[in-house]
Amino acid sequence: MAGKRRYIAGGCIGLVLGAGLAWYATGRAFKDGAVRNGPWSTSLNYGVASADALTRAAVARRGLLALPKTETVYWAATRDSAGALLDGSCTYRLSGKAVDSRWWSITLYDSQGYLQANSARLWSFSGATLTAEEAQKGWQVTIAPSRPRTGHWLPSLAGQPFELTLRMYNPGAQFMTSPGTADLPRLTKESCA
Amino acid sequence: MTRWIGPLLVAIAAAVLGWYGSLALATYGLMDVAMRRVAAEGGVNVMRHGALPTAENQPIVRPSPDLVYSSCAYDLSKGPVLIKITPAPDRYSSLSIFDARTDVVFVRNDQQAGGKPYQIILARTDQAVPKGAEVVRVDYDRGIALIRLLLRRSAEIGPLDPVRRQSSCQAL
Repeated sequence: MAGKRRYIAGGCIGLVLGAGLAWYATGRAFKDGAVRNGPWSTSLNYGVASADALTRAAVARRGLLALPKTETVYWAATRDSAGALLDGSCTYRLSGKAVDSRWWSITLYDSQGYLQANSARLWSFSGATLTAEEAQKGWQVTIAPSRPRTGHWLPSLAGQPFELTLRMYNPGAQFMTSPGTADLPRLTKESCA
Repeated sequence: MTRWIGPLLVAIAAAVLGWYGSLALATYGLMDVAMRRVAAEGGVNVMRHGALPTAENQPIVRPSPDLVYSSCAYDLSKGPVLIKITPAPDRYSSLSIFDARTDVVFVRNDQQAGGKPYQIILARTDQAVPKGAEVVRVDYDRGIALIRLLLRRSAEIGPLDPVRRQSSCQAL
């Protein structure tokens, strides 16, 4: 009888362990992909039939209906350039040049992947926002709970962690040859409240 | 000690089962939830034209606030489905078709379409389709056809809304 109980216990523990690991791994996979570039991370295997079971489940959980890399590359950032988790109480500088794609945008989400309510009703910054000078010389966005005196702003919520998603629609051929070393926006923490 | 070898092997087998079972459940289960949500707002094989995503309007996880989405929960169990697309001029748009396990079985953007209207027929492998039609074959009865349309400013939805509503999804 005791032997039977050991088998049942082993089965239950194994099931819970396997399911728990799957839950943890799918939460990590979408924001901790195989390709890294500064604070950004991606997998180039979203939405394709050759994707493994973990990638497919991670996309279903954290980025359902994502497009394959031929159409769009999705980068995620959950940490700043120094490796610290992104904190809505802090002020960050996001800067870069025109991203090598037909169209790009950077969106701020909460840690579950949803847009956060903010009074300015601003959730993203895109290439369409750039002036001709910014497109040529570079751009800069402040991520902070309060609007900066000048320049572009992406509101965060004080006390709340957040994530960034960089979408590159129709990425350029040059970018696709080496996504890990391409020139992507830089993210620097300036101060914390 | 040897009496634990059997239970340990069972635990390992159960862990593998739990791992792969959970991944499959997440993939098919979450896609099923999405298909049901889309169908709940207009039925199956109907193109539903959604509002611009905001903090108050997020039908799926990680929506882009720069895109408006039109979606059709398709069901091929009773026959093929016809999808008609009219790209809006001078901006990114795309049609992507997802099957029940989240794979993209078809994607075409406005540039690939030459900016011109087109239509495709979605069908299972064994379903008959009209001659000459562009056909996309899928391995599952159900899935989602999704149109993404870029807005540079939210106010653009006014003039673009009549254009996107020309795109449709219907049973043949």
